Amino acid sequence: MGLGGQQKITALILVGPFVLVYALLFVYPTVNMVVMTFTDSPLIGWGKWVGFQNYIKLASDRLFSTAVWNTLYFVVLSVFPSTLLGLIIALGVNRLTGYWQSAVLAAFFIPYILPVSVVFRIWQWALDGEFGIYEPLFRGFFSSNMSIYRFIPAFMPVVAAVTVWWLVGFNVLLFIAGLRNISSEIYEAAELDGATRWQMFTRITWPLIWPVTVLVATIQLILQLKIFDQIYLFANGGRTEATISLVQLIYRSAFFKNQGGYGATVALVLFVLIVVVSVLQYQLLRVRGSR
Amino acid sequence: MSVADAADVAVATAVRAETGRGSLRPVDGTGFVLTLLTVLGALFWIFPIYWALVTSFKPEEDVVQPGIKLWPEHFTFENYSFVLLNTKIGLWYLNSLVTSGAVTILVMLMSAMAGYAISQLEFPGRRLLWWLILASFMVPIPALIVNHFVLMSQFGLINTWAGVILPQLIAPVTVMIYKQFFDSVPKDFREAAIIDGATELQLLWRLYLPMNKGITTALAIITFIAAWNNFLWPFLVATSEPMMNITVGITQVTDAFGVKYARWLATAALAALPVAALYLIFQRRVTQAIMLTAGIKG
Amino acid sequence: MASVDLKSVTKRFGATEVIHGVDLSVADGSFCALLGPSGCGKSTLLRMIAGLEPVTSGTVLIDGADVTLVPPAKRRIAMVFQSYALYPHLTVRGNICFSMSLAGEPKARQNERADRVARMLQLGPLMDRRPAQLSGGQRQRVAIGRALVRDPQVFLFDEPLSNLDAQLRVAMRLELANLHNTLKTTMIYVTHDQVEAMTLAGKIVVLDRGRVAQVGSPLELYNTPANKFVAAFIGSPAMNFLPASIRSGNGASLEAAIAGDRSLTVARRNGTALAGPGNCEIGVRPEHIQLVDPGAPNAIISGTASVVERLGNTTYVYVDTPSGRIIVEAGGASPIATGANVGLSVDASQAHAFGADGAAL
Repeated sequence: MGLGGQQKITALILVGPFVLVYALLFVYPTVNMVVMTFTDSPLIGWGKWVGFQNYIKLASDRLFSTAVWNTLYFVVLSVFPSTLLGLIIALGVNRLTGYWQSAVLAAFFIPYILPVSVVFRIWQWALDGEFGIYEPLFRGFFSSNMSIYRFIPAFMPVVAAVTVWWLVGFNVLLFIAGLRNISSEIYEAAELDGATRWQMFTRITWPLIWPVTVLVATIQLILQLKIFDQIYLFANGGRTEATISLVQLIYRSAFFKNQGGYGATVALVLFVLIVVVSVLQYQLLRVRGSR
Repeated sequence: MSVADAADVAVATAVRAETGRGSLRPVDGTGFVLTLLTVLGALFWIFPIYWALVTSFKPEEDVVQPGIKLWPEHFTFENYSFVLLNTKIGLWYLNSLVTSGAVTILVMLMSAMAGYAISQLEFPGRRLLWWLILASFMVPIPALIVNHFVLMSQFGLINTWAGVILPQLIAPVTVMIYKQFFDSVPKDFREAAIIDGATELQLLWRLYLPMNKGITTALAIITFIAAWNNFLWPFLVATSEPMMNITVGITQVTDAFGVKYARWLATAALAALPVAALYLIFQRRVTQAIMLTAGIKG
Repeated sequence: MASVDLKSVTKRFGATEVIHGVDLSVADGSFCALLGPSGCGKSTLLRMIAGLEPVTSGTVLIDGADVTLVPPAKRRIAMVFQSYALYPHLTVRGNICFSMSLAGEPKARQNERADRVARMLQLGPLMDRRPAQLSGGQRQRVAIGRALVRDPQVFLFDEPLSNLDAQLRVAMRLELANLHNTLKTTMIYVTHDQVEAMTLAGKIVVLDRGRVAQVGSPLELYNTPANKFVAAFIGSPAMNFLPASIRSGNGASLEAAIAGDRSLTVARRNGTALAGPGNCEIGVRPEHIQLVDPGAPNAIISGTASVVERLGNTTYVYVDTPSGRIIVEAGGASPIATGANVGLSVDASQAHAFGADGAAL
């Protein structure tokens, strides 16, 4: 066979395993998930076709709207602070040089590589109602020995704060890369033009770093929409329903209530939500960029 | 060094850094304050980790005493030895090592091969495959947990290593990065090697991969860390204690010793040790990999 | 419109001293070039005049006032950067008006001044474009416009033409010369290209590793270099250097023997007494050497023509001699052929002698 044919065979061998894995573990489950939303299947096995019943149920399910609200609330509490904080920290770190810069950057970044359960343990201890080192800050809120996050209105903000602490290093890294792309000569020209520090930030840094800001915010947004781990860990042993997130709802419906079809429906809603957000990001970048 | 000493050193160095270059420059007050704030911020940021570590080296009675001791009065390893001897932590480590290692090796192999094929070869369905990979970005893995669980149970793989490993093999980012890097290898090298008689596989193994050793290391480290730190999926699949990952194990098994803060923190420290060590050794590679993956998503 | 003076300016980066006590005077309204190879410190010097780089010791004066500690924005200077440093997210108009908008000037006034500058530099049709949409030459004009609109007393240029292709460079050189003639503002221009310096500047400061090698008008530097560094740097093709030994000499001239025992009498620049017989180098420019027969009585040295470059209006002949390779500029119609044996005759009145330390003797 000709050269082209030989290439084709080799190519198919090379992509074979990948395609196999993808077909089995991505395409098939995704299709299954969509189909499942129209059935009343339990977790294992198939049920019968019920059309849009799951969707109708979803619309009136109080737990679902709680989950949506909680997820969006959490997203707002974690994405905006972590994006802004990431930029501020990056501006600070960028001014340092050499050993100091590496050390400070590592300090902000190390939390990011820790597993979520370790992060949970660290903060569970620091916020402990009896012996936590930050406990004195919250003593004014209530008299009992409860940890601050057991206090329902404080739960989301606390978990969001821990999440920001955990993940900000990622944002800092991206912002630093973006800041380095702005040539220092532009700042020098601005210095010559008489710009104050604040003017340099608002007139030069902010507009030029905007694409990175959008990127960071979107990555965080998509990431936090899928929140499960931290909320599960911190809420364990407390009133879990009040603080349930979308992914938790999927987990609950499928694994506890044995409602595979319903769980798949929630999953599909989450999927659509993420797609919408990604498209919005693209548009936002394009609009701002051409202004 | 206490926190106060460290801050002093930081201040002194910051002052030197600000005014060191050129002694005739008027002292930049705002700049100095900003640098100071940054360094203080870093200390504040790392404090919880420090505090957790310090606590793990204190005997349990000291931990629950009132008052704050920033350094253990009685430095001890008893929490660590208890955990290592009395829990299944050894098994959890093994599970984590095996599953994370397997995921890393398999993902790297498949991604390199597929990335190479998509980048360099013509074959039917090439475009379709690329779109499929892009699409898999959109679908969040947590949305598929139900179906993955069902699938694994159909194969009888619940509570096995294979069950933990398989769904984690979906790694679109790795393939995309490989493709990007392979694309950027100048065509001249390829043509010279073909004239020398290399086959496609040889091209991949002896030319393209060696030329991109750096990102292979970076991607491998980051894949390993992600697999090690994975919580949700191993949590679902491992239904018995001996099969748990270490990240799952440390949160699930608390009743064994009641409320023992120092021990919990010791287990957490042990769980984080490998990935923290990986990062500290390969800092540059990790940050490089992170920036690459973000570049892909942007 | 102001003079610029540097007094004993020194610059240290950490432990490394890069500028060693430089003294400089730039007259009001003149065009002064800072010339030298990469790493000689010319950009650092310029940035110290601008205030972007703090001075380790010494004084910087603009129009007689000590500005050493004054921030850049207050020195009434403007700078054109090598990479132009145009704000990528602003239009041409936005770039030009930037400093005015920072100062809070009313929009009407901003636009009026911007338009005036745009007319001068023919930027009218480009005012609403972004830098990314402009060509190299257009960007450079915008950079100049941005500097112009500040109405500075000193213009600073940091290698502004080095990012342009050769043809554009020539065109922009003329524009810059015109600009200076029109505005008559003091201009300080950093470059590594001696052609630019020679054609644009009224005065050139040649820098060698952080020290001033020589200051003078282009012709002064060309005809009477003070040391070997300047002699080799100025002029293209470069001056030839022949090792020689001093036979005798006095305050006005010296006699040197070039390999092969032929001697040359050279006028001296430096009237001080000679240290004694020793070695020196004789410098001669290619256009002051003539090709003659190998055995001719006026041939100082002879050799083989290894490479002949014919440019039409002139010919460069590379002759390999016992004293090394010598470049000779012959007429456009020179009949010399590759491989021919030739003798070289030197116009002694145009030759220079340099001592072992490089200074002119």
